Amino acid sequence: MIPFLLQRAVWGVIVIMSVVTVVFFLIFVAGDPAVTILGPQARAEQIADFKARKGLDQPVALQFLSYLGVAPCIRKDSPKYLQEDGTPGFCGVLQGDLGESYSHRESVADVIGHRLPRTLLLAAMAILFELLIGLSAGIVAALRRNRWTDTTIMFATFAGISLPTYVTGPIALLIFSFLLGWFPFGGYGVDPLDHVYHALLPSLILAVAGAATYARVMRGELIETLRHDHVRTAKAKGMPMRRVVVRHAVRNALLPVVTLIGLSLPFLVGGAIITEKIFAWPGLGLLTIEAINSLDAPVIMAVVLMFGVAVQAGNLLADIAVAALDPRIRLG
Amino acid sequence: LVGWIAVNFPEAPIGPRYIGAGNETPRSGGTFVFSAGSNIHTLDPHFAYDTLSTAACRLLYDGLLDYDYDGEMIPSLAAALPEISKDGRVFRFELRDGIKFHNGREITAHDVSWSMHRLLSERVGSPGYPFFKSIVGAPAYHTGQADEVAGIVVVDQKTIEFRLDEADQTFLNALAMPFAYPIAREHVEPLEKEEGIDAVGRHPVGAGPFAFVRWERGVQVELERFDQYWAPAARPDRMVFLENISGDVASARFRNGDLDILYRPNKVNRLFFRDSKAWAPYRAEVPSASVFALGLNTELPPFDNVHVRRAVAFALDRRKLEKLNPGEVIAAGQVLPPMLAPYDPDLPSLQRFDLERAKEEMRLAGLPNGWSEPVTVWVRGEGDVRLAELFQQELKAIGIEIELKLVTFATYLRETGRPRVAQAAFTGWHQDFPDPSNFMDILFHSRSIHPQNSENRSFYRNSELDAILDRARAETDREERLALYAKANEILAREAPWAFLFYPVDMFVWQPYVKGFRPHPVWLNEYRHVWLDLPRQRVSQEIYDQEASP
Repeated sequence: MIPFLLQRAVWGVIVIMSVVTVVFFLIFVAGDPAVTILGPQARAEQIADFKARKGLDQPVALQFLSYLGVAPCIRKDSPKYLQEDGTPGFCGVLQGDLGESYSHRESVADVIGHRLPRTLLLAAMAILFELLIGLSAGIVAALRRNRWTDTTIMFATFAGISLPTYVTGPIALLIFSFLLGWFPFGGYGVDPLDHVYHALLPSLILAVAGAATYARVMRGELIETLRHDHVRTAKAKGMPMRRVVVRHAVRNALLPVVTLIGLSLPFLVGGAIITEKIFAWPGLGLLTIEAINSLDAPVIMAVVLMFGVAVQAGNLLADIAVAALDPRIRLG
Repeated sequence: LVGWIAVNFPEAPIGPRYIGAGNETPRSGGTFVFSAGSNIHTLDPHFAYDTLSTAACRLLYDGLLDYDYDGEMIPSLAAALPEISKDGRVFRFELRDGIKFHNGREITAHDVSWSMHRLLSERVGSPGYPFFKSIVGAPAYHTGQADEVAGIVVVDQKTIEFRLDEADQTFLNALAMPFAYPIAREHVEPLEKEEGIDAVGRHPVGAGPFAFVRWERGVQVELERFDQYWAPAARPDRMVFLENISGDVASARFRNGDLDILYRPNKVNRLFFRDSKAWAPYRAEVPSASVFALGLNTELPPFDNVHVRRAVAFALDRRKLEKLNPGEVIAAGQVLPPMLAPYDPDLPSLQRFDLERAKEEMRLAGLPNGWSEPVTVWVRGEGDVRLAELFQQELKAIGIEIELKLVTFATYLRETGRPRVAQAAFTGWHQDFPDPSNFMDILFHSRSIHPQNSENRSFYRNSELDAILDRARAETDREERLALYAKANEILAREAPWAFLFYPVDMFVWQPYVKGFRPHPVWLNEYRHVWLDLPRQRVSQEIYDQEASP
């Protein structure tokens, strides 16, 4: 197990580093962050001043090394630019410093600190709905195979997978918020209970595609498992059908679903970008869109870094979880 | 079941859901809720350079000077407009009595001076610095060569003087920008020390009509009425400024009665409100202080020839734009927007559609058969592409083929600011402050040409224009000054470094119970004078039925 984890970690770091490098240089290909942040009204002098403060007037390679934290700090407005003894300090990722957002006057860590929990709340509720709806629909469909319930569920999942959130989202808002008034019309609310209430509709929409996928996978697996010998044996012993399904069949059928959950984590956060936009949910997704539009390089980099780590961690967790559930799999 | 749902399904409201209580006299109370589509970046006025931060700072802070609803400059924290010395270089302000920060302390001339020093210091790094460089000793202080700014003189507790290196009337406009709003030293200094300069933008203490309550970042800013504000008036008890509410959501919330005012609804909703009789009394459409144009690079052929530029300016049929975007744009033929003197609707050199004159100009340019190669026009997005396609035919009529180069906004900004790169580009400007210099000096003075990031993106050089603009900047006589700018305005329309296209029109819709709102010619979201006619009453949508069938 340990060698496996180490190997995965090394690969993870290599992948993350490559992504970070590519994105860093892409930002500079896309345009000049100082010019973009300050906008079309900016004076040449303001741009020059901004560049000097942020070290954007330095060679890009040096900026990158300084961002990583292997070269000295080039951001003059960073408290770490000069140490107490007058020697240059370091202010890069290796020192745990993600820099300061160009447009929000706040450190990147703080900006993300505000936004991430909101997106996690959305994602967590979405996973909950995905499993709740997806698994129960899958089980029902499998047990009522080829009857009208099954057909209806399968048709619904087909629609669920096909319809993108930017179609379902606005329609749901129109019907359930605007016309019926059951849910708040987008936004985040002000206290914790309010947040959950505001998250209901967006997380349901976010969960549609996942729930549909889980339902189909669950149905397929369960039908397969129900044919297995151990299930037939359990039935033959006179075990009630409910127990047969729950204890013997569903547990086995869950394996591929668990893998899927692990793999879907980063995509859930990614899918949240569109959903957050539609529902005016002020999370990481909205932040990312804005950061990309305004070339807020430190925020873009931090988000890329986070997503990189999340994908790697998600995959790893999925592997470990599968190994734990399936005694036949040994990692290492 | 389907039938039951169809019959009982609620319909979208067609008119306001709530009306006012009918109070004749302004009254205080209630919560005023408004929203914007993105984030507020800071509540520190020394960094408020985007529209949302400015809108929030307008409620929290107050400055020496302000503008009234005619766009005229008026005193605010100052007791009167300043005394100006004969040479136009010294401005002396008396402060009003009884002006207080939200912490209850009276504001003195020292506060104004200290805040200006903070703004000008390199340590703080405000983007507002270039606007105040003309104060004597400001550059020396900025670079750390002096401990204070020689040109900021506290005469006594209530009197402060600003001395400039050269006469510059736009200095007063700069002073009216949020950059110059005073902030409370005893609050700011410990905050900067403990949490850094940025923290000031999260814990604002100003002298404006509303005091800070809290800011849930990315969600909303909450303010409460400041009872010791120097200009007592009926105001809402609370102001809630919602962030990140996209256009569709904002419009729907507004129609539900959850938002009190709607600014710049998106296209679909704009059409709805335009056509709605029920909303008509609560709607305003005003030209925004911006101009959009096709910028022509005067250093690159064929636009180095003034006749070709003029031909383009005469070839574009701007009325088509008005027809295609009813109510959203007004055709433009000069750089100044309609609300800014000396705008002149009868300008002799006004750019307008006249195909014969366009062809004549092409003949004068020696190109009666047009330009041989296609001209590259840089565009920033799909909106610009549609705009360009609209004009493709018309330019073809004078023998100019255009080729569109669609780039990201980031690339567009970088490349169009460099000399000899973009032949032509869709461009525009929104005023920083209401003075003609803010359009003309920045966009067309040869001083605004740089090897990178030129503000003068048509790279237009005209020593006659430069001289007029320099004189106008320094001129203290208002009439004389406007006459100079009128001349410059005429030159720019005639010389056509830009083919002016349109002024965008802003739309506001507010709830019937919102009183005292008027679009402000300078401040985009100006809600300082709003009061709420409460308690609001819910009304049945049936009262609007007569208009439902067109």
